[in-house]
Amino acid sequence: MAFALEFFLRRISQGVLIVLAVAFVIFTLLRIAPGDPIRIILGPMATPSAMEETAERLGLRDPIPMQFLRYLGDIAKGDFGNSFIRGKQGGTTGGSQDAAGSPPVERAPVIELIAKALPYTLLLAACGFLLACLVSIPLGIMAGVKNSGWPQKVALYLSSLLVSLPNVWVGIVLIYLLSARTGWLPAIGYQHIGYVIIPAIVVAVELAPVMIRSISVAVATNVQDPFYEIGQVRGLSARTMLFRHVLRNAAVPLLNSFGAQMIGMLLGGLFVVEYIFSFPGIGLLTINAVFQRDFPVIQTVAIFASTVLVFINIAVDFASTTIDRRLKF
Amino acid sequence: MAIASSTPQSSASPAPARGQSVNARILRLAWRSPEMKVASALFFALCLLTLLGPFIIDASATKISVADKFLPPVFMEGGRLPYFLGTDQLGRDLLLRSLVGLRNAFLIGVVSVVLMFVLGCAIGIFSGYRGGWTDVILMRITDVQMSIPVIILAITILGMSRPNPFTIVAVLVLSGWPIYARVARSVTLAERQKEYVRAARIIGASDLRIMVRHIAPSILPPIAFVAVLDVARMMIFEAIFGFIGIGIQPPTPTFGTIISGGTQYLLNAWWITIVPGCLLALSLGSLNLIGGVLEKSRNLVLQGAA
Repeated sequence: MAFALEFFLRRISQGVLIVLAVAFVIFTLLRIAPGDPIRIILGPMATPSAMEETAERLGLRDPIPMQFLRYLGDIAKGDFGNSFIRGKQGGTTGGSQDAAGSPPVERAPVIELIAKALPYTLLLAACGFLLACLVSIPLGIMAGVKNSGWPQKVALYLSSLLVSLPNVWVGIVLIYLLSARTGWLPAIGYQHIGYVIIPAIVVAVELAPVMIRSISVAVATNVQDPFYEIGQVRGLSARTMLFRHVLRNAAVPLLNSFGAQMIGMLLGGLFVVEYIFSFPGIGLLTINAVFQRDFPVIQTVAIFASTVLVFINIAVDFASTTIDRRLKF
Repeated sequence: MAIASSTPQSSASPAPARGQSVNARILRLAWRSPEMKVASALFFALCLLTLLGPFIIDASATKISVADKFLPPVFMEGGRLPYFLGTDQLGRDLLLRSLVGLRNAFLIGVVSVVLMFVLGCAIGIFSGYRGGWTDVILMRITDVQMSIPVIILAITILGMSRPNPFTIVAVLVLSGWPIYARVARSVTLAERQKEYVRAARIIGASDLRIMVRHIAPSILPPIAFVAVLDVARMMIFEAIFGFIGIGIQPPTPTFGTIISGGTQYLLNAWWITIVPGCLLALSLGSLNLIGGVLEKSRNLVLQGAA
C-alpha cells in the first residue's frame, strides 16, 4: 500500500499546485480584462465617489497579488466570497440602488449558489453520459471486434455524422421538433425530470462520436494482438475472450481518454447546453456571471471545474494501474 | 490485416530518410478511398459557392429589406428567387449570410489551428528535446492549461472584452496548443534517441538546427494530417461563441448569431435557424470525413500495413 500512498501524495500535491495556478490565471484575467463590475453593481446612475467607495470595500483597488492572497486566505477558511450581483433571496440586485449608499442588499454566498445549481448539472451530466453509453458501448465493441461488416460502417458514419453537428444547432432543432412543433417534451428551464430529456440528448450527441471511436479503436488494437488468436487456439470462446480479456485490456486506454478528453468535453458541453435550454445549472450560472462581471462566482466555478478535472485524472491513473498491473505508478 | 504484426502504434514516421515518400503514400492511400473523393468534392463545391456566391446571387447578406422578410426557401410554397434558402427576420438572404458565416468560421478555424499547431509543436519539440527542468516546467504549464475547460476560458476572456476575430483566434490557440505540445513532446522523446539525431550532433549541428531541420520535418506531417479534424472542431467553437454572443459581433453574419437570432421565430420561420445549420453541418461533415480518412491511412501506413 505504500506505493499507493506515495502516488496519491505526489499527485494530489501536484494537483493542488495546478488548481492554484488555474485560480491565479482566471483571477488575474478577470481583473485585467476591461469591464468594471462596480458599474454593474451600482448601476448607471452611480457617482464616481460611490463607485470608488464600493470598489474599496470589495478590495478591488488593491494590487492583484494582494487580492489573490486574501482570496486564498478566505478560501482556506472555507469562505468563497459573496456574489457581487445576486441577492440572498435569489434574483439579481444590480443597478437598483441609489447612489447615496443605502445599506446594500445582502449578497448570496457563492457556495450556496453553486450548491443550488450543482444537482441540476450533475443530473444532466449523468443522463447525457448514460444515454451516450447506451449507444456507443455496444456499437463501439461491435465495430472493434470485426474489422469489416455493417457495425463498422455504421459506427464510422454515425460518429462522423454526430461529430459534425454543432451542439447549439442540435439543441435548437430538437427544441423545434420535439417541443415547439409537437409538444411532446418540455424544453426550456426546469420544473420536473422531463425537462432533462432534450438537453441530455444534446449532451449525448456530443459525447457519443468520441466514445464510439475510442471504444472501437481500443477493442480493435486488442483483437489484432496475438493473444486474441492464441486464446482462441486454446479453445476459449469468442465471448470469453471478448469479455474476460479484450475488454479488460481495452479499458486502460479508454479510461485515459475518458479522463483527459471526455470530462473536459462534458464540462464544456454542459455549459453550452445549459445556456441553450436555460437549464438552471452551473453553466448558466457562470455564463450569466460573466456577463454581469460577477468575479467571485466565475473564480469559484473555475476552481471547482479544474479541481474536478485534476482529480478525475488522478482517479483514472490509479484505476488504470489497478486494472493493468503492468503499469507503474 | 496482418495479425502477426504487433507493431506498437506510434505517430513517428519509421524512417526519416523516406519522410517525403511516407507523406506521399499516406495521401495516395487516403485518396484511394471513395469517402475521401466525395468529401473533397463536397468541400471544393462549398468553397466555390462561398467564393462565387456573392457575385452570382442577386441579393445581399447585410442589406435589410423589410418587404422580403420571412421568405421561406425556394423549394417551399411562397419562396422565390433569388432567395434560395429564404430570408431572415430582416429580409436578408440566408444563403449569402450562411456563406459569409462559413467563410469567416473556416478562416478562423484554419488560422487558429495553424497557430496552435506551430506554437504547440514548437514547445513540444523543445520540451522533449531539452528534457530536464525545461521539460518538467513546460509540461506542468500544459497541465494547467488543460485543466481550464475551453468554454470557461473563452467566456471569461471574450465575455469580458470586446470580442473580435483576433481575440477569438487567441482564445482558441490558447486552449488548443497543449494537446499538440503533448503529442509533439512524446514523439520527440522517442526521436531524440535515434541514430540520425546523434549523427547530426556528432558532426556539430546546433540544437536549434537539429530540432528545426531534422526532428520537425520527420514528426510534424503525421500530426498535421490529424489537425484537419481540429479545424472542424474550432469551427464548432466559433459557432458556439457566436450563439452565446461572444463571437464576431453583428452585423457581420456568423453561424452562431444567425442561429441565435432565428430562435425567436422558430415556430413561424424555422428555416432561419435550421437551414444555415445544415450548411454548417455539411461543411463540417466533409472536413471531418477528410480528416478521418487521412488519420486512418496515416495509421495504416505508419504501422506498415499498407
